[in-house]
Amino acid sequence: MIRRNSVPESQNEMSDSQSGLQQWHSQLLSRRRFLLGLAGGSVAALFPAVCLPLSSKPATIDEWAILGQVQQHLLPDEADSPGAVKIHALDYLRFVVQDPWVDADERQFIVQGSHWLEDLAHSREQTSFLLLDQARREQLLQQIADSSAGENWLSTLLLYLMEALLTDPAYGGNPAGTGWQWLQHTPGYPRPPADKIYPKLNV
Amino acid sequence: MNNEYDVCVIGSGAGGGPVAWTLARAGHSVLVLEKGPWFHTQDFYKDELACCRRSVYTPELKNEQHVLEDENEDGSWTATPTSESGRDFWNGNCVGGSSNFMSGFFHRLKPVDFHQLSEFGPLAGSNRVDWPIDYEDLEPYYDKVEKIIGVSGKFSQHSNAEPRSSADFPFPPTQEHAISGWIDDACAQLDYHALQVPRAILSRPHNKRRSCEYSGYCGSYGCASNAKGSSRAALLNDAVNTGHCHIQPHSKVDKLISNAKGQVTAARYFDRQGEVHQVRAKIFVVACQAIESSRLLLNSSGPRCPQGLANNHGQVGRNLLFSAGGSGSGDFAYQDLSAEKQQQLKVVGPFVNRALDDWYVIHDPAFRQQAHKGGIVEFLFQHPNPTGKANSVKWNSDGKLRWGLPLKRQLESWFTTDRTLNFEVFNDWQPNDNCFVTLDPKVKDQWGTPVARVRTGIHPFDLQVGDYLAEKGKAVLKQMGAVRIRGGASSSPPPNLVAGGCRFGSDPKTSVLNADCRAHDVDNLYVTDASFMPTGGAVPYTWTIYANAFRVADIISARMTG
Repeated sequence: MIRRNSVPESQNEMSDSQSGLQQWHSQLLSRRRFLLGLAGGSVAALFPAVCLPLSSKPATIDEWAILGQVQQHLLPDEADSPGAVKIHALDYLRFVVQDPWVDADERQFIVQGSHWLEDLAHSREQTSFLLLDQARREQLLQQIADSSAGENWLSTLLLYLMEALLTDPAYGGNPAGTGWQWLQHTPGYPRPPADKIYPKLNV
Repeated sequence: MNNEYDVCVIGSGAGGGPVAWTLARAGHSVLVLEKGPWFHTQDFYKDELACCRRSVYTPELKNEQHVLEDENEDGSWTATPTSESGRDFWNGNCVGGSSNFMSGFFHRLKPVDFHQLSEFGPLAGSNRVDWPIDYEDLEPYYDKVEKIIGVSGKFSQHSNAEPRSSADFPFPPTQEHAISGWIDDACAQLDYHALQVPRAILSRPHNKRRSCEYSGYCGSYGCASNAKGSSRAALLNDAVNTGHCHIQPHSKVDKLISNAKGQVTAARYFDRQGEVHQVRAKIFVVACQAIESSRLLLNSSGPRCPQGLANNHGQVGRNLLFSAGGSGSGDFAYQDLSAEKQQQLKVVGPFVNRALDDWYVIHDPAFRQQAHKGGIVEFLFQHPNPTGKANSVKWNSDGKLRWGLPLKRQLESWFTTDRTLNFEVFNDWQPNDNCFVTLDPKVKDQWGTPVARVRTGIHPFDLQVGDYLAEKGKAVLKQMGAVRIRGGASSSPPPNLVAGGCRFGSDPKTSVLNADCRAHDVDNLYVTDASFMPTGGAVPYTWTIYANAFRVADIISARMTG
């Protein structure tokens, strides 16, 4: 029997963390209330620290191109260690965003964040996030991380990057266990075959 | 499906399984109503997403939730629905219940647990009492659990050992990790007694169940070999094979209907499509896990019980218990170890199987002049789930997000330079007036039934005991050469270690159940999960739940055969 506490972002994972209950509880409430209040959000909602003139951002944007570039910034590929591209993080995120088992507000939040980031890029840099160099992308992401809402969005993307890196390849990330190999992690067995991943359990 | 049974069991976990198994084998017709689905062995894989990151084995909080009351610094209480907080208080909701997902390190209660009030006297703010039965009443059933559920271990006599009717366990110990020997050495140097902990996991095949395959992913995962002694694998399959037991998943009981005589006549439940049904039985057994059992009784008012079934004295839901204690950990840096020890430490699969029970009763004037009830310290490896571990790395020591190359370097360091050994402390959660279940006046589940509101107050003395024991765990880690040793007590209620709410006793005014776990004022209603426990003891509950449920099953069987 492992002593379990319910901890933020980890669903019902068994945890050994016992300390700081009140602290994480208040953080968690902040996160959940934020997500619940998302509907109709704007760039000011996501990045309240930034006062913005309306930008010349086009009406439609390539949400997934932006999400993919942010993922690559957050977890870059290197010659001897995998990053977002090598672990198929964008494909994995598409699975997450279509997965009814994931909180609907969170799925909306992930995609909507790309719009808000693009708004900010146009307002601050007068161009698309996709056209910024690495240094300016870093600057922009650091700015949004200073707001709790922006930090939430980046934190959510990082969570699903870690899932793409280390969950079973049957879910689309971590191809051939490349993330496990990098971090010398031994997976459990038996591993789920493609017809036994959780959306396909027919019970 | 019939519409009338000898016995209707609500809930299929460690509290329900022994009743279904015993009565079906005795030839009585048994219906088990289980709220969740029926996962079979071939549905369980070592899949971190399914086990631990999505609500696959538990309800979605928007459909079913709790309302938790936390204490503020000024002593007031704030109630928060878990759909808002994300704080999940469910365990396994499926056939076999949370026993599917236990780690299976098993401890019996000790004789002293059955009469804590007599032994230690009253404690201000604590509602501790003596049990209406003794250890000797339960011992034959602890023994039965060893044989039927399957407990693997090696008994060695020591000063705190519980009396046993069998010389040794029926199955030899599960394979043990090399670090168990390191713990033994450290404890010997400290003059502590390292207890070899038995496990409800088969070390040899038994009754069509395979033995453990030592994947290293056990606690919180369903077992793919049926070695783990879940109610599903060890009991319910056999019960069904008798031809007398029907298990019906996706059946959410929202109310027990009682008549003018005060007897339960039917269970009302919703099926998967939301259709309402009723089923009749001679005897009803509630085993929904402690919080939900109290909730079901409170939601089951009737002509003779306007405040809820078995609640004419307002006792249902009171004296809820969790497991008090805490945890700690230390890291073993590979660079500090010989090549041989590094290789030993990196092995994944075998169990640690070590605990300390030297301070089950604390005789230490530096702590208290009088002897006082203590608890145990259990050692175990940090849970192997990699995603949860990696996700914690994204925060730096200043509480800011890290990403890019700094994140990658930290991940490499976190995963490849050391291995963490944890300990967990288990001590009594004093029954108290600030830990109870009621019905929330506003929040309802997807079937329109009021959800449980749970106040989770802990007695401050339990934290002192937890800290005392945590220091012992830290001393062992230090002696072993661990670094970054941390740990201490916690007031956080672990939702998978819950008991009480329908305590048994001899006085109907202060207890819900009699010594047979039958409701004082409802002749055909029994409660067989951990709800019956008036004090929790200082070990995990599962072995005791199984044992008591077998005991009550024999009582029901004797009653039915007259």
